[in-house]
Amino acid sequence: MSETLLEGGLRLDPVIGYAALGLVALTTVLIGIYGLRISRTTGDFYVASRTVRPWWNASAIGGEYLSAASFLGIAGLILVSGADALWFPIGYTAGYLMLLLFVAAPLRRSGAYTVPDFAHSRLDSLLVRRVTGLLVVLIGWLYIVPQLHGAALTVRITTDLPAWAGPLAVVVVVCLSVMTGGMRSITFVQAFQYWLKLTALALPVAFVVLRLAADRAPVTAGGSAFAPELDTVPDAPLYATLSLVVALLFGTLGLPHVLVRFYTNPDGPSARRTTLIVLGLLSVFYLFPTVYGILGRIHTPELAAAGTADATVLLLPGRILGGTAGDLLSALVTAGAFAAFLSTTSGLVVSLAGVISQEFFAGTVRGFRRAALVSACVPLLLALLTDSLALAGSVGSVFAFTASTLCPLLLLGIWWRGLTDAGAVAGMLTGAVLCGGAIATAGLLGAGGGPGRVVLAYPALWTVPVAFGTMALVSRARRAVHPPPPGGCWPGCPPPSPAGRRHPGTPGPSRCPP
Amino acid sequence: MSPEDELPRRVRVTAPRTTGRGSGATFPVARELAEQSEVGRVFVASLIRSQLRLALVVAGGFLVILVSIPVLLSLFPDIHGVTVLPVPVSWLLLGLGVYPLVFGCALLYVRSATRNEHRFQDLVDDE
Repeated sequence: MSETLLEGGLRLDPVIGYAALGLVALTTVLIGIYGLRISRTTGDFYVASRTVRPWWNASAIGGEYLSAASFLGIAGLILVSGADALWFPIGYTAGYLMLLLFVAAPLRRSGAYTVPDFAHSRLDSLLVRRVTGLLVVLIGWLYIVPQLHGAALTVRITTDLPAWAGPLAVVVVVCLSVMTGGMRSITFVQAFQYWLKLTALALPVAFVVLRLAADRAPVTAGGSAFAPELDTVPDAPLYATLSLVVALLFGTLGLPHVLVRFYTNPDGPSARRTTLIVLGLLSVFYLFPTVYGILGRIHTPELAAAGTADATVLLLPGRILGGTAGDLLSALVTAGAFAAFLSTTSGLVVSLAGVISQEFFAGTVRGFRRAALVSACVPLLLALLTDSLALAGSVGSVFAFTASTLCPLLLLGIWWRGLTDAGAVAGMLTGAVLCGGAIATAGLLGAGGGPGRVVLAYPALWTVPVAFGTMALVSRARRAVHPPPPGGCWPGCPPPSPAGRRHPGTPGPSRCPP
Repeated sequence: MSPEDELPRRVRVTAPRTTGRGSGATFPVARELAEQSEVGRVFVASLIRSQLRLALVVAGGFLVILVSIPVLLSLFPDIHGVTVLPVPVSWLLLGLGVYPLVFGCALLYVRSATRNEHRFQDLVDDE
């Protein structure tokens, strides 16, 4: 059945694509409906009533964190840029470490539903709340767009449908499952999708390696798979690597769909345990895209030239195995890819819908459903109007933007008593303007622009410190005018729970400042 | 069939399901913190400080090791030539080696943070 590899191996048999797509969509909606039966209250919708156990929660976090960029983008990037691409999975994983160290337990105990809620209760300012809400929505939309681009690519390769059908299908399925079940049902869907994604990468690659070994075919071609001569883009300079690491490490702190997950933990210690499990799940997962990328450098190098390097993961199993086994494994990988788009998109839509409905729809369940529709349809338009870039790269830019805006607010808000509303707004706006402007300028300059372009295309190394500095300096300057209230709890800070646990989580300063 | 035999009407239960243990002995602690006594405030402040210090130490150590990898690789490009069997050391380090480091740091932090909280709890219980 090797004739199923159409168009010189750049496409798969449409039946594989339809089967995979239908299967994932069906399971997602079914689990969503199951969740609906036990989702009853507003608390269920927003934070799953804060009762999700660490393993479930960790699988769900892994499920929604492993996006198109992780599932397809990393292997594609390894294909074109070699070892430099390995920094992406490192940054995604280590970002979680930063989240564990500085945010997980205190934020959970701050008692807020969303990031704007946190900002509002910490700084008691509607302006801060609005600015934070706008940024969260903007970041969420920007992050959904690459997912939809990934869906377009996958549909183009695995079916004979037009590319726009992919984003549309993802948005429809996400809206159905989010609007019916809210956070609690999404938690089940996400957790299922982590394990689906892991299986969808691990099983085919195991067969591929076994087959290569049985055929005595080259696995790494005696190490030449690692040769930098195979790279089609020049090596990244040290500055770009460092800036990327800063963006990924600190960008994770502010990603809205990541943060809202910590509100679904029952308490601070279980929020920490969740993060620990997530780190293990991510570390295991990222081994597989790396292997795909390395195999792709030998077996599918022509994808880099065709500009569809991100399709490496989808095409590799069929290319090497062929026959029915190849078809089945291709279907599995395609299903995993769709799970990646679906889970990340629905995670983002849930958190955006939380923010939008709190701001504009009075926080009701009906408002949540309307907000979910809004938060899914805007990025759909954006995705249909723009062209796909390299998936990992465009997600990297969103991380840089998050690291320059929401990350300083969270870190200083949690750990520094001196933060004021004026400082928070000034810092976030400075970071947003500098980082957004730099990335946009680099995009306009295109491939030209000389050495200065690197500084603009990877802005995190300078925009993150500038945003932190602005926030701190403006807070200091304004402190004399608006001193923090003397003693007692700060506004919005919840009293310790009367059903206090034997070992309370870290009481962040937002709870009861010294 | 008597009315008693009818199935009870369906009741919708909306209270959150929790896995938490009961309050009991820890209630006085919570009350003390709620009352914002001088002692309570001092204890909470010291707990927050020690958690922050711990987080900064772990993050600092991790970042120094992580950043030293690209710096060393760019200072000594010859490292790229070193291979273990067919795999270059730089690929091994970045593709495999960093993950145990990340997990180790996380484990260290979670253990120490939990110990800090136990110490805090013991202090408060002694009061």
